Amino acid sequence: MTHPDSDVGEFAVATHGLSKRYGRKLALDEVELRVPEGSVYVLVGVNGAGKSTLFKTLMNLERPDTGAAEVFGLDTGGSGPEVRAQIGYVPERQEAPYRYMSCARLLRHAAAFYPAWDHAYADHLARALGVPPEQRVGGLSKGETRRLQLVMALAHRPALLLFDEPMDGLDPLVRRRALALLAEHLADAPTTVVISTHHVQELESLADHVGVLRGGRLVAQMSRDDLQRTVRTYELEAPEGWEVPKDLHATALRRSSTGRDMRCTLVGEERDITGRLLAAGARVRGSSTLALEDAALAFLPEEPS
Amino acid sequence: MLVTLDPRDERPLYLQIVDQVRRALLVGTLRAEDPLPSVRELAGELVINPRTVSQAYGELEKEGVIYVRRGQGTFVSPTIHPDRQERRAIVRGVAERALLEARRNGLGVEELVTMIEEVAAEDRGAA
Amino acid sequence: MTIAPTIQTAERSVHGVRPQMPRPRDVLREHLHAIGYALRVPMLIAVALGVLATIILAIQIGSGDLDYNFLTQPSVLPGVIGALLPVAMWLREERFGPGFLWTLPVDRRRHALLKTLAGWLWLMGGVTLFVLSLLVLALVSGGGVLPVQTMTTLTDALRLSGPVNPAALQTVQWTPGALIWAVPFGSATALYLLASAIVLGIRYLLRWAIVLVFLLPIATGATHLISRLSGNEWLADMPARALVQLVEGRFGLEALLTLRTWSLDNRATLTTGERIHVWSSIPDLADWRTAALLWTVAGLLALWAAASRHREERRA
Repeated sequence: MTHPDSDVGEFAVATHGLSKRYGRKLALDEVELRVPEGSVYVLVGVNGAGKSTLFKTLMNLERPDTGAAEVFGLDTGGSGPEVRAQIGYVPERQEAPYRYMSCARLLRHAAAFYPAWDHAYADHLARALGVPPEQRVGGLSKGETRRLQLVMALAHRPALLLFDEPMDGLDPLVRRRALALLAEHLADAPTTVVISTHHVQELESLADHVGVLRGGRLVAQMSRDDLQRTVRTYELEAPEGWEVPKDLHATALRRSSTGRDMRCTLVGEERDITGRLLAAGARVRGSSTLALEDAALAFLPEEPS
Repeated sequence: MLVTLDPRDERPLYLQIVDQVRRALLVGTLRAEDPLPSVRELAGELVINPRTVSQAYGELEKEGVIYVRRGQGTFVSPTIHPDRQERRAIVRGVAERALLEARRNGLGVEELVTMIEEVAAEDRGAA
Repeated sequence: MTIAPTIQTAERSVHGVRPQMPRPRDVLREHLHAIGYALRVPMLIAVALGVLATIILAIQIGSGDLDYNFLTQPSVLPGVIGALLPVAMWLREERFGPGFLWTLPVDRRRHALLKTLAGWLWLMGGVTLFVLSLLVLALVSGGGVLPVQTMTTLTDALRLSGPVNPAALQTVQWTPGALIWAVPFGSATALYLLASAIVLGIRYLLRWAIVLVFLLPIATGATHLISRLSGNEWLADMPARALVQLVEGRFGLEALLTLRTWSLDNRATLTTGERIHVWSSIPDLADWRTAALLWTVAGLLALWAAASRHREERRA
């Protein structure tokens, strides 16, 4: 399969028609991920949307049924070790290996596999995140394990960070500290980050690209600016009984008791949307941008309340 | 200078930083030749993408408000005088935000302007 | 306060830059360290027990309470340790699935083999200690480094069934030669390779063990049925005979571990009523060499196959 990707050099990560099936469940469905180099790419999706499978495929821990993935132009299937050498991976599972090792010993163990490992930086990160060096890995709490995994992923300053739900299990204070360390890390070295999460809010100020996975399909992928420009909440005035045209795929629809005031989230260029609403018989009173999380939610089906 | 971001502010983060630097110059908490926090510091402090800080600093540098001294950091331009133009930029920002809010509440421009004058008159009376 | 580069203008592309890979030598060294760290407690206990046993035995031999024939009747200990070490090494590892080991930037098959090599180096170190203790015992007993043993054998091996006429006995001097010192190393290596292949290549060990336990009676039943239908007597207990060959045969596991000194050494009752040790034949070191070679090659092939289960997932 060939792809006319002339601009492939600009992407840290690019997948081409990536599909993976577990039994009857389609974990990845023709995913065309494009992560620009140097960006902070937030991958949004509910549990089981395929985020972890996608990460494992990039690490060459899973083999896709069809399609291919590239990391910095290297095929993940053909150059697994070279690809992994450039990745700092925090797996979804909060389980550190080798429970019998002390944290310090595990860090030294990991260091042996990365020539670029910066021992001073690892110490700094471990201290900043409160990883107890003499504690046995098996005796760590979930949160402490997570922090240890973050240190291991960052200490060799890889060109690509793959964080699978990194903030899970961390208390709010540590979350903020971890994100501040990540921000400083990004300022120090050019790094591309792909973070999966179902709490977009805490990554709001770090994200500059957003992808939305739903049932294994990448239903949206765009820069943060594009997302916030094209996903807007519209306030409408419409005759009673009026419905938003189906083809606009309105989400977060609310209407007043009289039915004349409506508010809904629509995806598209503002001018185009306004025109179509007007043509359908509604007047647009105004529109506003959404928080990143709400904008991303526009691509996910409404959850039954 | 302390930069704080308002999560409810709809404008891009970098513009908020640009505005805050301008405001600090106007108020006098930031003066000519003062050092600005490094991109790394500000990104870590605000927990934002360093690119956003770079973008803000780039904008300010383009306007001649700040300059980069190689290997030393970013500083406020020696020739900076918070002049009418700066003031205008800030007033403009305030006006834009007020107008946006008014429109969302279904108010017209004139209503808003009249009310601002009324409230200001009351304030003066009270003082 | 440090001043970091304030404004990033152009970010350097990572495309085309050769990633820094760990050298195989460093990976091997780290696994040597890590295995030593992981198994430090059992290793220390084993060494302590070994030293203690050597001292006690040396005292007993020195005071004439014990006949010394360790060398001509090799211990199964190195082989047993060789078989257990891979279990200790790999069962703490997430062998299948996205385990930490496999997330590291080393070709996965090579990584499995490097870790196996590190374990083998530890094993050889342990066996060396063991052999040294034998050497101490040999020297204490006043024997040479190359052993000689006097054995009683039968002139006609077929007559071991009933009471034995003392006239049918003969005494033979067995001098196995220098190769006897290689037996602990060879048997430990072969079993280590086989055990490594099993734990590395089989995901559900218990399931397979249960299958194997049921396999023998099922196979025996099947061959019995076939032999009754076809009238071929020879076929009837072929599975059992194959198993016996595998364990006690000329090149079987027992030959590998003990030079068959277990199965060749028999108890016999003389017509005089006395019970003695009688060797049905003299152990053959050439046979051991062949057995060790066969088992080692089988172990290497099995290990390669097992490690290949972990190879990088290349697209078909």
